[in-house]
Amino acid sequence: MPVLSHRLAIIGFLIAVAVVGVWLVEAFLSIGKPSPFAHTKQGHLVGWIGLAITLSVLVYPVKKRTDRNRRWPREWFRVHLVAGVMGPLLILLHSGAHLHAIVPSLALAAMAVVVVSGIVGQGVHYLALRTLNDRRRQFHDQGLSAGEVDLRLHRMVAQEEAFRLWQSIHSPMTLLFLVLTALHVIGAVYFGGF
Amino acid sequence: MRYLPLPRTVLPAVTAVTVFVVIWLAWGSWQDPESYWAPGDLSRYHADIGNCMSCHAPFRGAVDARCIGCHLEARFADRSLPSVSAFHAEVIRQRQTCLSCHTEHRGILGRITSSALKNPHGEFVFVATTTKSCIACHVFEPTFGMPPRLAANETVNQLMAKGRGAHRRGGMANCQQCHAR
Repeated sequence: MPVLSHRLAIIGFLIAVAVVGVWLVEAFLSIGKPSPFAHTKQGHLVGWIGLAITLSVLVYPVKKRTDRNRRWPREWFRVHLVAGVMGPLLILLHSGAHLHAIVPSLALAAMAVVVVSGIVGQGVHYLALRTLNDRRRQFHDQGLSAGEVDLRLHRMVAQEEAFRLWQSIHSPMTLLFLVLTALHVIGAVYFGGF
Repeated sequence: MRYLPLPRTVLPAVTAVTVFVVIWLAWGSWQDPESYWAPGDLSRYHADIGNCMSCHAPFRGAVDARCIGCHLEARFADRSLPSVSAFHAEVIRQRQTCLSCHTEHRGILGRITSSALKNPHGEFVFVATTTKSCIACHVFEPTFGMPPRLAANETVNQLMAKGRGAHRRGGMANCQQCHAR
């Protein structure tokens, strides 16, 4: 499906631009200063704000699982999408391109996996699944048998399964991200004070 | 639109990876805490320090008491210029913190003294004021990198009076803009 490759390329490009852009802003804020912005009190404050925004994404999965009426919490999903991009961008500003210690670097890497898998899951896997279902319906309407439909959609199904992998690691990887972030925050407060 | 449910193996696999990573980090932190937690390598001046708690107090950061534990006044007097020694004695007397001027974890070749990073006046100002240190005219904030404030004292007042209006707040950072060498 060329449309998926095209979508994937656009998403990859936008993510790269966002990361480089935020790190350039951090470098700009550090010009002429004795310490990089990321290591200043303002940089730490940005980290706390980024963390608070990032944690707000967890309301959506909690609501989704606990809603008594089994309704999909659409508004919280929007918060999940927006906060899931804005929070990590602020955390990138807080980190800058100063990757030294292993614990925060791993936390950042885990965050990147969670965010990228979420974006790919929503932006590409969603599209793949929708396109696949549309095509399946079309073939059925044309009177093709189930076997013929499967044969024709074989390649598309394989692609959809490949993108499903991204979606399937999105929520479980959040566990690793939260644990590493908690370790980073505890370590920073323990060694650096409040 | 409903996504397909996760494969059953995913959550146990990620949990196992998380537990493994935490154990690895605990072991690594025991062996080499600086690589796992510090924002940068220690400078060459402190590179021989292996224990974080030599300088850091839990939940308080780097504290003066631990600096002074090694940088004793007598040792300072023996090993530094009299002006440097007198400067630090005055700083301690004024109860300013070491972190007002010093930092760490900026790499093995990193500079750790704020004034060494930036002195806009150059050495000229010490000749002009017959002072020996920055704190003769400036009050340093308790955070590394914050610009110092101008003190309200006789030295500053005399300097202001000499300039016929040219010496004013914010207008005399670079002495050599007006004064020839």
